[in-house]
Amino acid sequence: MGFFSKFRKKSPWILHYNTGGCNGCDIEILATLAPKYDIERFGALNRGNPKQADILLVTGPVTKNCRDVLRRLYLEMPEPKVVVAMGACGHGGGVFRHLYNVENGVDNIIPVDVWIPGCAPNPRALIDGIVEAINIWEKKSKDKEYMKNHSKDMIKNLGVNDD
Amino acid sequence: MGNKIVVPFGSQHIALPEPVSFLFDTKNEIITDVRVDVGYVHRGIEKAAITKFEFTNVAYLLTRICGFCSITHAGGYHHGIEKLLDVEAPKRAEYIRLIITELDRIHSHMLANAHVAEVAGYENLFMQGVKDREIVMDLLENITGNRIQYDIYTIGGVRRDISKETAEYIKKQLNKLKDKVLKVYDFYDTDYTFGLKTKGISYISYDDAKKYNVVGPIARASGLATDARAEFDYLPYDELGFEVQTRTEGDVWARNIVRQMEVVHSIDLILRAIDNLPEGDIKVKYKGRPKGETFVRVEAPRGECFYYLKGNGTKVLERVRVRVPTYSNIPILKELFVGEKYSDAQPIVLSFDPCMSCTAR
Ligand code: SF4
Repeated sequence: MGFFSKFRKKSPWILHYNTGGCNGCDIEILATLAPKYDIERFGALNRGNPKQADILLVTGPVTKNCRDVLRRLYLEMPEPKVVVAMGACGHGGGVFRHLYNVENGVDNIIPVDVWIPGCAPNPRALIDGIVEAINIWEKKSKDKEYMKNHSKDMIKNLGVNDD
Repeated sequence: MGNKIVVPFGSQHIALPEPVSFLFDTKNEIITDVRVDVGYVHRGIEKAAITKFEFTNVAYLLTRICGFCSITHAGGYHHGIEKLLDVEAPKRAEYIRLIITELDRIHSHMLANAHVAEVAGYENLFMQGVKDREIVMDLLENITGNRIQYDIYTIGGVRRDISKETAEYIKKQLNKLKDKVLKVYDFYDTDYTFGLKTKGISYISYDDAKKYNVVGPIARASGLATDARAEFDYLPYDELGFEVQTRTEGDVWARNIVRQMEVVHSIDLILRAIDNLPEGDIKVKYKGRPKGETFVRVEAPRGECFYYLKGNGTKVLERVRVRVPTYSNIPILKELFVGEKYSDAQPIVLSFDPCMSCTAR
């Protein structure tokens, strides 16, 4: 079925959390939200609320203090959800690998779907990653579609065909 | 009388790019007490700098303390290690370093001002600020090859030269930027509603600034003329006619204005540096290992950054100590909240332009 997923893919909302990298990647996220790169073209807004978010954008190597917050944010997000790990230090720690207060990357804590390499990644790379995330998320959304048996009339009214 | 309500702000919050947690005790919307936890970003960089990295590549780690001030940390480390190794960078390298440092300051200040405008309710102004800032990011990418972590400093010079065409391009773009910045400056200066939201909020007097050892634009907004660029000799600032920018109002508004004035002044400095760019090499060779101890003061966008280095003749340094500007600004930040409205808490935090990655390291 593609009832909700049809609309859902038009507005993927982002939840951004920095788990202790330098803030380089976060600056690039701000730049990507602003006019020149404008991630809003894809309907993506940065909203600070895990209950409304679809894409979790994580930067940083995950410090021991941030670990539980990150896990909680992930669990609070509704299904379907996609996790994007941004920056070299999200990938196994980068330059911070094996420092005493660091958990060596995002995938040691939560499952990751999309990796964006670079230190700091260019906004173009970030846009590429988000688009990839939207595709994965749409697929997950179709798989997990819960409203399977709605009436034929409703589908006809909305102009959404079965796919 | 209302009840006491505790309002959490952070560690994950839309207005914060970095994790830091404030717990506000409020009564009738007035803040009565605040507890701050800045430790979310602690990675243990100072420890790693003296155990895991050799002195030739510890700079890659130190610049990644913070994305905004990466060039400051590179500067602090390299000026120190050059003193220990007894090498002197050529004049042209010093000028290129200065250009990158000031470009970094411009983009940091513009983002900080835009952020204050956003939380004060001016989303359009935020977008405008970040859009204009892209001009600077473009220049940085042109000169150094990367937008955020430049790593252009190297021991005894810089890695990349500025060609004639790039110099012309920088001049053209900066003149364009200056017009735009002056326009926004005018808005901050004269707009009535923006003044209502920011004037008189979180006032710091000259005496308080002195007593609490405030640094950076926050101190300069209270009339305290402290600036490491004028007080410590590390880059050729006097040759280019550097002047400390100050205001006396000491509130959120004055901090924005000081930052905006510094942006304009930095643009002038860069234009002068480009015009007077000396000819010659950009790098000299060095020999030996660092021995002895030294300190450096450099001016980060947020204030004075202090570096202490100690070497013992081996490849790994014995001590690297960093004291960053936000650290010295936190004591007064705590005092300021008490008695203000909760709705003003966000502009107050962001007018300090706090940098938690630096503070907790
Ligand atoms: S990947 Fe690089 S720029 Fe991004 S947060 Fe990590 S250290 Fe900073």
